[in-house]
Amino acid sequence: MNLQEFKEKLFHLGGQHGFTDMELYYEREEKFSCELYKGEIDSYDTSEVFGTSFRGLYEGRMGYAFTEKMDEESLSFLIENVKENSQFIEDEVQEEIFAGSKKYEAGSYYSSSLAEVTIPEKINLLKEIEKQIYAYDERVTGTDYFMLSSGETERVLLNSKGLILSEKTNHAGIYVSVIVKQGDLVKNGEYSKFTRDFSILNPEEIAKYAVEEALSQLNARSAESKKYPVLLRNDAASALLQTYIPIFSAENTQKGQSALKGKTGEIIAAASLNIVDDPFLEEGLLSSNFDSEGVATARKDIVKDGRLVTLMHNRKTAQKDGVESTGNAYKASYKGALTVAPTNLHVIPSDQSYDELVSSLSEGIIITELSGLHSGANTVSGDFSIAANGYYVRDGKMQNAVNQMTIAGNFYELLNNIEAIGSDLEFSMGFMATGYIGSPSLLIRELAVTVE
Amino acid sequence: MLSQSIIQDVITAALATGGDFAEVFVEDRFTNNLALQAGKIESSLSGRDYGIGIRVFKGLQSVYAYTTDGSKEGLLKAAGNAAQAIQGEKIIQPSQLQKEIIPAAHPISLNPREVEKLRKVDVMKKAYEIAKKYHNSIQQVTVRYLDEEQNVLIANSEGKFVEDRRVRSRLAIQSIAAEGNQMQTGFYGPGAHKGFEFMEDLNLEHYANEASRVAVTMLGAEPCPSGKLPVIIDNEFGGIIFHEACGHGLEATSVAKENSVFANRIGEKVASDVVTYIDDGTLANEWGSITIDDEGEKARKNVLIENGILKGYLIDKFGGRRMGMESTGSGRRQSYRFAPTSRMTNTYIANGKSTPEEIISNTEYGIYTKYMGGGQVNTTTGDYNFAVMEAYLVKEGKIGKPLKGATLIGNGPKTLQLVDMVGNNLDHGAGMCGSQSGSIPVNVGQPMIRVSEMTVGGTKGGE
Repeated sequence: MNLQEFKEKLFHLGGQHGFTDMELYYEREEKFSCELYKGEIDSYDTSEVFGTSFRGLYEGRMGYAFTEKMDEESLSFLIENVKENSQFIEDEVQEEIFAGSKKYEAGSYYSSSLAEVTIPEKINLLKEIEKQIYAYDERVTGTDYFMLSSGETERVLLNSKGLILSEKTNHAGIYVSVIVKQGDLVKNGEYSKFTRDFSILNPEEIAKYAVEEALSQLNARSAESKKYPVLLRNDAASALLQTYIPIFSAENTQKGQSALKGKTGEIIAAASLNIVDDPFLEEGLLSSNFDSEGVATARKDIVKDGRLVTLMHNRKTAQKDGVESTGNAYKASYKGALTVAPTNLHVIPSDQSYDELVSSLSEGIIITELSGLHSGANTVSGDFSIAANGYYVRDGKMQNAVNQMTIAGNFYELLNNIEAIGSDLEFSMGFMATGYIGSPSLLIRELAVTVE
Repeated sequence: MLSQSIIQDVITAALATGGDFAEVFVEDRFTNNLALQAGKIESSLSGRDYGIGIRVFKGLQSVYAYTTDGSKEGLLKAAGNAAQAIQGEKIIQPSQLQKEIIPAAHPISLNPREVEKLRKVDVMKKAYEIAKKYHNSIQQVTVRYLDEEQNVLIANSEGKFVEDRRVRSRLAIQSIAAEGNQMQTGFYGPGAHKGFEFMEDLNLEHYANEASRVAVTMLGAEPCPSGKLPVIIDNEFGGIIFHEACGHGLEATSVAKENSVFANRIGEKVASDVVTYIDDGTLANEWGSITIDDEGEKARKNVLIENGILKGYLIDKFGGRRMGMESTGSGRRQSYRFAPTSRMTNTYIANGKSTPEEIISNTEYGIYTKYMGGGQVNTTTGDYNFAVMEAYLVKEGKIGKPLKGATLIGNGPKTLQLVDMVGNNLDHGAGMCGSQSGSIPVNVGQPMIRVSEMTVGGTKGGE
């Protein structure tokens, strides 16, 4: 059954069963990924999948269900489950099917030149990067992840109030993890990038970055465990920010899971901090003209000069707080329930370079990598204690690598302890993340650092 | 799910360009996910996942294609896309498919699909009531309910044709306690390879009270000291440490390419004598158990480390090719969207001889961790980290005041050598494990153990 036929049958059947308003959300995705290992293709994946999510208002309450099979059995599966699921929803504010915004931006996040890049061209890029990696230094022994992926997504939203929205986006991503060995010491170095412009992926630069990153950790030494000024390099800063993004969601403040409840309009961070959510970012992974409820998206300040301007809302959280939706309704896919998430959210960079920030430190620690963020950071209390790698700095100069540290503190306090912001905005490639999150390097006045 | 003759055609098409092995994985999965917040059901989501994965090997090259299009044309197109990646002449004729019936090793008595959702809601509300009334500082309780029925069909060019039904149920309770500016959380998430009978037999009082007790206890906790200290890790979910510290490093995924610190070390002493580490997918109805893996191999018990000596790895079909070793029934994947790779099932440290009382009374100064959070490892270096949910200071052989904000970091192979006491109270805990082939249910387990020295990271400076 095709989408149109499935929708007509479903809405007709829904009508017969007493549904008042209905919505069908459809997503189709084509993906390619390829992994290389010592000149050979190690894995090669292609896929084409689609699925639909059905929302319907039954006796005034909204139910949900999804399916990846568009057949007769699924029609009754959706109707029966949505009906049953709607029955015990007790939220005081009910979701509704949205008739549409007045105006939608017409941005395009589909690159036809990217679509024309062939599979052999993609594999050749990987081969070239690999060649450069092994040629760069004899201490390179292998790779761990070494992958290129690309994808195209089409989204369609159809509802019984006559709204029809559709959008197509594409992207390419590259993930490289290099292994170097010296004596008994083994270290990794990583590079990752997401883009719609294939031509910016330069094999020489990628190889250099990943190998240098790994080599720089071979001279690791210990350092004293104590409180230090900490420079969170852009990749570490964006990973930490990504972990704490849920605190800016109205859904979480309403559930008592964020300390930003009631703080809209108040100073919550250092005056130099500005955070923006920009759905129209040309190179953004989550760029879009409409959100998962069909509301027109908008660029907005979340934090301006240290002041919390707004939380992120969907229609339901907005109604509860008596405000307008910010166009941040989000579904991870047609499988997910409706929630709240940013699009392309980032800290606005300053004009101070990373090198200037390093040289401003008389003694401190640079953090380049954080791990275990999913478990070591409590998004409710703001407390974190996270494993980290990085470098020791003295007299404005990087002295040596420090491996196996933890940094500990509280995110809400950290926001107020930002001393300086770099010019080097970079986005994080978190796989589990909701939202595409970026930050320049951030200099934090003080964090507890424990070194193994 | 799909006819034998269509699958035979798809396998033949996948091998048209010179592949030496082809496999078809069909999945039809029904799930129910309910969430309760502040005593009210906030969301109830039902879904049906359906898709087909086609895999082709040629030597050490693996190609994977998947689709939600189950029509013959859709499948042949996906098989063609996979075959396209291998350029050559057809070299093998696939064997005729032979249907094999494998009896379910984990019987289900009440299929959750046949249970009214209101009964599920009742269980959630009971858990909520218990957790909420535990203490007046409990500000929020979230209860999540999950059940799923995953039907799979696995066929390959060696003539394998098997079907399996996996039914799993899980309840997760999170309590938040608040006092002044302080907020602390407690969590418990029991699960099993069982139907709704699991929920009916579940000791809700215990699990809901524990989630709240942890949150309330942590409200009064002091910042954790940092530095190198002896660490006692209690049983059950405490086993997460070995899941991270060595379980992942024993998977073919990293061993085959010699990217693991444990590669080429079978027969060597990799841990202290008191450590025996086992992965066992056959444990009756446990959360991480399987009847067959996602390549159609029967589940088995794999002894990985015995009295400190490395005995084996966790191997899938493709990893085994590079290693020149047979599958250990460890090929697993989240869904048809992932090619399978070597993964854990129920992994645990076997019982030792000490009693928990002996371990604690033998510790002059250190940390006792009762419940762990999650963790992560870099399998190349063996460096791991994980979060502690509930911890206490141990002084002069006695458990003292509660500590908050502790993170344990270390190196897997080093930690294995430093285990100096193993208790006799083995138990298992349910969790989700994320890796290359997605997020899958696993158990981690152990008796109480003591590590003579670990690095503890906390907000309080070193002592």
